[in-house]
Amino acid sequence: MTTVSQHPLVQLLKRRIAIIDGAMGTTIRTYGMAEADIRGERFRNADKHLLNNGDLFSLTQPEMICDIHRRFLEAGADIIETNTFGATTITQSEFFVDDPREHGGRKDPAFYQKIIEDGMLRDLAWEINEKSARQCREWADRVANETGRQRFVAGSIGPLTVSLSNSPDADDAGFRVVTFDQVKQAYAEQVRALIAGGVDVLLLETIFDSLNAKAALVAIREVFDEDGLAAAHRELPVMISAAVGRGGETLISAQTTEAFWNAVEHVKPLSVGLNCSLGPDLMFPFLEELSSKANVAISCYPNAGLPNPLAATGFDLGPEDMARYLSNFAENGLINIAGGCCGNTPDHIAAIAQALEHKAPREYEVRA
Amino acid sequence: MSRSQAGVDRPLRLSGSQPFTQQPGIFVMIGERTNVAGSPRFAKLIKQGNYEEAVSIARQQVENGANVLDICMDEGMIDGVAAMTRFLQLLGSEPEVAKVPFMVDSSKWEVIEAGLKCLQGKGIVNSISLKEGEQVFRHHASTVLKYGAAVVVMAFDEAGQAATYAEKIRICERAYRILVDEVGFPPEDIIFDPNILTVATGMEEHNNYAVDFINATRWIKANLPYAKVSGGVSNISFSFRGNNKVREAMHAAFLYHAIAAGMDMGIVNAGMLEVYEEIEPELKVLVEDVLLNRRPDATERLVEHGESLKQAGSAVREKEAEAWRSGTVEERLAHALVKGIDTYIDEDTEEARVKLGRPLLVIEGPLMAGMSVVGDLFGAGKMFLPQVVKSARVMKKAVAHLTPYMEAEKQALLAAGHEVKAQGKIVLATVKGDVHDIGKNIVGVVLACNNFEVIDMGVMVSCEKILERATQEKADLIGLSGLITPSLDEMVHVAREMERQGFKVPLLIGGATTSRAHTAVKIAPHYSQPVVHVADASRAVPVTTSLLSEEGRDEFVAQHRAEYEAIRRNLAAPVQQAVSLSVARQRRSAIRWSAADIATPEFTGVRVLREFPLETLRPYIDWSPFFHAWGLKGIYPRILEHEGHGEQARQIFQDGNALLDELIADRKLTAHAVYGLFPANAVGDDVELYTDSTRSHVLDRFHFLRQQVNREGNEPCRSLADFIAPGETGLPDHIGAFAVTTGIGLQELCERYRAANDDYNAIMAEALADRLAEAFAEYLHQRVRQEWGYGHAEQFTPEDLIHERYRGIRPAPGYPACPDHTEKGTIWRLLQVEANTGIQITESFAMWPGSSISGLYFAHPESRYFSLGKIARDQVADYHLRKGMPLAEVERWLGPYLNYDPASEG
Repeated sequence: MTTVSQHPLVQLLKRRIAIIDGAMGTTIRTYGMAEADIRGERFRNADKHLLNNGDLFSLTQPEMICDIHRRFLEAGADIIETNTFGATTITQSEFFVDDPREHGGRKDPAFYQKIIEDGMLRDLAWEINEKSARQCREWADRVANETGRQRFVAGSIGPLTVSLSNSPDADDAGFRVVTFDQVKQAYAEQVRALIAGGVDVLLLETIFDSLNAKAALVAIREVFDEDGLAAAHRELPVMISAAVGRGGETLISAQTTEAFWNAVEHVKPLSVGLNCSLGPDLMFPFLEELSSKANVAISCYPNAGLPNPLAATGFDLGPEDMARYLSNFAENGLINIAGGCCGNTPDHIAAIAQALEHKAPREYEVRA
Repeated sequence: MSRSQAGVDRPLRLSGSQPFTQQPGIFVMIGERTNVAGSPRFAKLIKQGNYEEAVSIARQQVENGANVLDICMDEGMIDGVAAMTRFLQLLGSEPEVAKVPFMVDSSKWEVIEAGLKCLQGKGIVNSISLKEGEQVFRHHASTVLKYGAAVVVMAFDEAGQAATYAEKIRICERAYRILVDEVGFPPEDIIFDPNILTVATGMEEHNNYAVDFINATRWIKANLPYAKVSGGVSNISFSFRGNNKVREAMHAAFLYHAIAAGMDMGIVNAGMLEVYEEIEPELKVLVEDVLLNRRPDATERLVEHGESLKQAGSAVREKEAEAWRSGTVEERLAHALVKGIDTYIDEDTEEARVKLGRPLLVIEGPLMAGMSVVGDLFGAGKMFLPQVVKSARVMKKAVAHLTPYMEAEKQALLAAGHEVKAQGKIVLATVKGDVHDIGKNIVGVVLACNNFEVIDMGVMVSCEKILERATQEKADLIGLSGLITPSLDEMVHVAREMERQGFKVPLLIGGATTSRAHTAVKIAPHYSQPVVHVADASRAVPVTTSLLSEEGRDEFVAQHRAEYEAIRRNLAAPVQQAVSLSVARQRRSAIRWSAADIATPEFTGVRVLREFPLETLRPYIDWSPFFHAWGLKGIYPRILEHEGHGEQARQIFQDGNALLDELIADRKLTAHAVYGLFPANAVGDDVELYTDSTRSHVLDRFHFLRQQVNREGNEPCRSLADFIAPGETGLPDHIGAFAVTTGIGLQELCERYRAANDDYNAIMAEALADRLAEAFAEYLHQRVRQEWGYGHAEQFTPEDLIHERYRGIRPAPGYPACPDHTEKGTIWRLLQVEANTGIQITESFAMWPGSSISGLYFAHPESRYFSLGKIARDQVADYHLRKGMPLAEVERWLGPYLNYDPASEG
């Protein structure tokens, strides 16, 4: 398989640290949008509160979302993420389908089977992914042309609102609300729609449950095989990024960093790394571990510290703080891709990009 | 050679929740007891649906050292897909088991695929083969690769099982080429099973089976790069079923030879492996004759000898890794909760119930104490969420055991006409606008396990619905959860509504964006009942239990209100910027370690100086503090000429010297000292002291703290541990400790002066004794520098000494560089201070008599004094574990040094 190593993004990573963008949610909130704005005409009569379903903005407020993409690109992002973190049937169902628990019921595989077969949710998820990918594509290419620097679109694939590793039933540790195949199907549809919209890479991020991630990776493999991308050597590079706790463990399924790498290495990702989590200050040892074990690019885009509703920005760390932490990672030769997660605005990304401009990327062996 | 090629260059790397990497020369043990074919007991449990007990077999295998667990459900009466899925999902909730990789073992492909869908880590598929031809083989291999597992390939092809050496290597090579060249399977993830077949069956053609396997193994390792070899070891001895002694000897001997040929791993009973060297010599010869096919009558001879051993039973006992069972019942319950072991929970709970008299006392006592250890470990990042959940499930069992007793108590109370409170009921919901609830679900599980009735309303629940339901259910508590920042405003809204509608139940706040500070400042002021932030699932039980406890509630609420009030007050004074402990450690004092800077002392051990002559100390007195004691500011000798108080200074200096003459002449004060030098090296932020120069036995440890706040730019984050050579430098460093006193007799002396109404001389005597103690410390330090071998050439004047121009430092516990007073306890232990000098330490680690000084010696040229400043929560958590002192106690001792409010959950 030679497609990945010849990818222009891989070529870029040999030369310098690539910058990935910041937080969509945090930045959206600076625009002061209200419930009516996200609903627009289309979701005027929805039953549930939608304001925090940020992915919908790509459909109802495309100007704002494109403005955010543009600002991140202008801040120096080489890679921008689609606004599709929750664009699966499963996650969207939380905003559109009655929670059976409100009436004494429960969520279980029978419930989620209906969700993944629901025509409205499937169409909606597809549309968000495809539209958002197109919007990113347009702006990435436009800014690339203006600046003479190629930009990349990463299709954001979030962790879902369910866990394949955890039982919410006090009486049955073996119970799961959803099955592997259901999760795989939801992810496969998202992957297809992102590819249809023209993304450059697939970014599986904020992994708190490695089994959810594994279902996504199997889905990606099957889409590549079934849709002829593998045969045509048009497989997209995959980026993988986990959210870890104080011990470097995936937050819900508690898999430690090296164990996680062993579990995903077989997909030969473009990069593996950490995002979100508890902020950059606790990440160092785990990045170091990943960096010493994995012979692929290492990415790191942490939260701007922990959410701190009492701080002016809503998060502990400002642009300079983030720039300092990521510089430190770079100086220690730990990273190839850097940016920010929750709490990082275009100002944060600009500070990070500037700080890392002349820092050498981590050296690693690019696989043939 | 093949061995290094396969074993070292590309080891097999797997994972459960923890990584597993094959180590060169170490045999990988795959536990076989969770295989229905290998363990009748396991098979029976699965058929009965007793999965709980079946899980405990998996746990035993891991405890007995299995690196990987083989899981097989191939049995006619078992629905393989359902059983494999259910069992693996249960193991996924069993953190002590889930840490190891699993081997999904089945001859049915659909069972294997079902198993793969349950593995978060990288497991092993057992097995695929060419039995159904190349196309199926390729399909299976690509599927295994898609899920990211290693694979066992049986030496089997379209024509059947390979029995001979030639067949084995032909099939293995063919399979290898397809896997590596066509499928792109990583060769290090290919594990060949060249069929361990039963020997000593009485059939002559079976006699060479062991030899064939061993030779095939050697060939594979030499010719198929990076591939591994495994096998089901117990097959070899099937003909001796019922004779464990012979079987164990055969397994041990077979493995000995197969491993020498390159066998990497095997499916074994991890608890029952005999050691080759320990096989009885006679039996060993007979067994090896059979295995190595050394003589035609080998089988008969072994059978005959084996008959006599039948009664002997097993040579090896299943290991009992259960030293913890010998602790007190409280310790055992805490251990069971922390480790998530439910095996003995009923008997231990019962023992505690009998001991404590009432079931509720067991819950509120040892069980709650155990859960709070769980909370501490989780808070310190030493325990992960699934382990917290598992602990809660063990707690549930303990509570279940106690429930009938509580019921009986309740009935008795009712019968006696008392009012009885029902089980606590809580309504939980993720607030409107937020869809995240995996964390909340975990809180629900933990609470349910602790006998709460949990009404979980799910996600995106509006305020009206939550309050309506709480009213309808007569809930005792309401818990709100949210992960995204906008949820915080919604929580404020719910609090307001609760106040408006006159609710009386406590409100709990939890979720990733919530914080104690936010709850105290933004939410609590809107609701007049308790509003409590619950930092994580591990804290849910203590909070809810306290809020519903008849006796404890008022105290908890009062304390809680005071804490939140303090947070609101303190918010004006923000904490200082701190770097994390890991960053601080990276920024340790930059010392280039070299042997030239490491002095070698002329002795190690302890020396005592009793009744030391005070006149020797006189020249070492630093007089400036003497004047400070009298309230005169200034530096000696200039102070004697001071414009304002020079005359006064001259007067007390004269009087002081007169009294000093008297003290010396009449020996009114007695001085003793003890000091010691010890081989030592730094290990992290601790310094380990060794019993002797071999440095093989740790004598004791000093625990140091590291600077964390206001360290700007490249300023180092210092710790005293930085000044002792780290173990990895290989340098034989030392640390010293001392205690001196010049205060023996002081109390009596002062009492005499005071009795004579001579307060002036009483104060003077105390001031002088203090000066003499300091002088003694200075003198002793100089002497130690010489005995340490680096101070001989010193030509310092007393003034130089006072200004500490020499090499090395002598910081004291309780002072800025190491403010933890309790470290003095270590000095007292090491030097037998009380026996040698009469200096005692009080409960608060103050020294008695006064005019006593203790401290540590550091000799490195770069060692220096510094002030620790404030330290952050991560360091305190680390320190509490290093030191083995309860967190709350550490926080109490270090109170003024904390850069956080210990009452807030952070």
